[in-house]
Amino acid sequence: MPPPDAFPFDQLQNYLMIGAALMALGMLGFLARRNLIVMFLSVEMMLQGTALTLVGFGRYHGNWTGQVLTIVILTVAACEAAIALALVLTLFKQKESLDVTLWQDLREPGLPAIEDQPGEAEPIEAVPGPESYPHLTPSGIEPAHPRRPWEVRRD
Amino acid sequence: MIDYAWLVPILPLLGSLGAALSARKARQNAHIPVIIGTAGAFIFSLFLLFNVGQGTGRTIVYPWIEVAGLSVPVELRVDGLTTMMLSMVTFVSTLVAVYAAGYMHGDPGYPRFFACIGLFVFSMSGLVLSSNFLLTYVFWEGVGTCSFLLVGFWYAKPAAAAAAKKAFMVNRVGDFGFAIAMFWMWSVFGHTLSYDDILNPTALTSVPESTKLGIALLLFWAATAKSAQLPLYVWLPDAMEGPTPVSALIHAATMVTAGVYLIARTSLLIQDAPMAQLVIASIGCVTALLAALIAVTHNDLKRVMAYSTISQLGYMFMALGAGIGSATQLALVAAMFHLFTHAFFKALLFLASGSVMHAMGGVIDMRRFRGLRHRMPITCWTFAAGGLALAGFPLTAGFFSKDEILAALRSATHAAHEIGQPSWAAIYWVIFSLAVFTAFLTAFYTGRAFFMTFFGPEKLPSPDDPEAEPEEAAALAHASDPHTPGHDHGGHDDHHLGHESPRIMLIPMIVLAVCALVAGLIFGPTHWFEHHLARTPGFSSLGHPEHGHGVDLTSMALGTVAALLGIGLSWRLYAAPSSAPSRLARTLQPLYRLSMAKFFVDEIYNVLVITPIRMFAKFCSLFDIYFVDGFLVRGTAWIPRIVGREVLAPFQNGLIQFYAAVTALGVAALLLVLLLT
Repeated sequence: MPPPDAFPFDQLQNYLMIGAALMALGMLGFLARRNLIVMFLSVEMMLQGTALTLVGFGRYHGNWTGQVLTIVILTVAACEAAIALALVLTLFKQKESLDVTLWQDLREPGLPAIEDQPGEAEPIEAVPGPESYPHLTPSGIEPAHPRRPWEVRRD
Repeated sequence: MIDYAWLVPILPLLGSLGAALSARKARQNAHIPVIIGTAGAFIFSLFLLFNVGQGTGRTIVYPWIEVAGLSVPVELRVDGLTTMMLSMVTFVSTLVAVYAAGYMHGDPGYPRFFACIGLFVFSMSGLVLSSNFLLTYVFWEGVGTCSFLLVGFWYAKPAAAAAAKKAFMVNRVGDFGFAIAMFWMWSVFGHTLSYDDILNPTALTSVPESTKLGIALLLFWAATAKSAQLPLYVWLPDAMEGPTPVSALIHAATMVTAGVYLIARTSLLIQDAPMAQLVIASIGCVTALLAALIAVTHNDLKRVMAYSTISQLGYMFMALGAGIGSATQLALVAAMFHLFTHAFFKALLFLASGSVMHAMGGVIDMRRFRGLRHRMPITCWTFAAGGLALAGFPLTAGFFSKDEILAALRSATHAAHEIGQPSWAAIYWVIFSLAVFTAFLTAFYTGRAFFMTFFGPEKLPSPDDPEAEPEEAAALAHASDPHTPGHDHGGHDDHHLGHESPRIMLIPMIVLAVCALVAGLIFGPTHWFEHHLARTPGFSSLGHPEHGHGVDLTSMALGTVAALLGIGLSWRLYAAPSSAPSRLARTLQPLYRLSMAKFFVDEIYNVLVITPIRMFAKFCSLFDIYFVDGFLVRGTAWIPRIVGREVLAPFQNGLIQFYAAVTALGVAALLLVLLLT
């Protein structure tokens, strides 16, 4: 199928450059940040860079291959995101922190732990607990609904 | 008729299968299919015997190997030599199978025994029927395997297992010679192994004499192992660990003649290499003398017979080796005739020894029993018939065949001049005189065995006999246990020691005794045997004198005198208990010791062959353990381990970003390579 309109190589180059930039930035983020969620976002960014490149090439060649592949990738990425976030949540519940270096116990046995030098990395701050979660203003009257037994107040 | 020659090997094979597959309840009848099979084979070989024509009857049963340029059919050949061997083998096998039905009665391995016997008859008849060297080789191996199976029949007994192993190993040495000879013939005779293509005068003239000499010596090498000649005879005395019918059938009458048959079959080739004939005659002579000297002192009845077998086989090779120049035909007939008669009387002697052993509760040491002639009259007189034939007493079977051998040796001394080797005449004279001396020794030890066993005051083995070895005494004390493997008796407690054997065992002995007495008289002076053998193609091409040979009275007289002297001396020394034998042993102490120690042949083998091979095996074992296993295998496995521990493990530091960085660097390196190339 011939391309519906001209899509010259110069134009493709822009897409490729943005794709590569997204990819590189994502990788940089993944390597530099310790926060699990931020790292996960960086990975997503790399994925988007790849997807953009695919779409650009698909347009350049005038076929659907790139777009079809992108849609597939997005679908998979959605599933993967669900799983990854669930995992992140579990990890967080274990350590009460999102710092990935806390998981370096999973190294080969017998190797020394890598300690942070003071001043080299930002200090680990405890994420505020549920008691310090912000209280939002109630938006209207709470509707009547049956409470579950464990939600019934004792007093 | 000839087209159905395959029936001869197949019938015993079917019998063997029948015995092997016999149901649990029919175990005690496992002998029936084998006896029917071998008897059928015998009857059929008699048909062949009387229908063999002047030429070769050949029949292709099955095209076995058909590859480009190589065609080996399963081709059977019916001629004088074959039918003679075939009838002899099947006849003796049938009788031995009947005897074994009584002898092995009650043995837990009864069906196995008969299956092996049937298989053996199949292999042996295949060996003599086959019409090319490859097929002969296959059956040659087959009889070797059956021998292994049957020597080691009581495999739980260490001595029997060791003897079986020894027999097999020694035979492998000979098979090696056969294989090399076959390869050589294959390349020299224009890529064929058929007897017709190799053993015909036209093909033979095109081959240089040195090649023929080499092939002849290699074939003889093969024969020395199978037929127990000098360097390789050591397995046969040990093979007596097998049940006695096996000794009678395989290690006396039939299988050990395979080597003689091979040399006789290829005599057309070997007569062109007179040097090989001289070697064959010399080895045969030395073997005959050595084995006879060993046999005169030994006390184990079966072992005496085993050495006697070796000695008689040496006689046959002496005869074959006398086949130079114009003596060839005479020599071949003499050797085959001795093979033929020897089969009868040696099988008989073994069966009689087995009968004695059966009656004595497994004891075979001649010092432990005496004067059995009243208790076992039939065994005694059949043994006497066999012994007379073996000793060469006039008009018995052995007399005629031994006389022919001596005559052949004497004519070889004349033939040596004909072929322009006058110095060989002296060698043949020495061989001839040693042969006469061996005949004397043969008569002496046969008489000794007979008189020691059956004459003198009666004495039965008892556990408290001072001559009894401790284990034998124990075996005797427990003789009532019928199923002890390794004790050659059928479960009779010692109250019944010294009874005559059952009729099923006696009848084959009587038949064989009649054969031993009259076979020589029937076939010898009438020349029937010679005329039958002349129906073998190529026989007329063998060297023969211008005019027919008469009866050689000188050698006949010498042989008779030697036999009578031997028998007389043994009668004098052993018929009644006296101190003469022990005095004689003291006088000839060094010789006696040497003979008692079997000339230290086993010890020499131990030093020269077994120890070096064991050392080499030890070296190989150490090489395997330390170099192959230790260095190569474990070394290879050690490399990834050490690399993983020392180099790769630090990378697994648990920091996810570190992994990601390594991955990214790897991808970058790959990209770089892609871009730069």
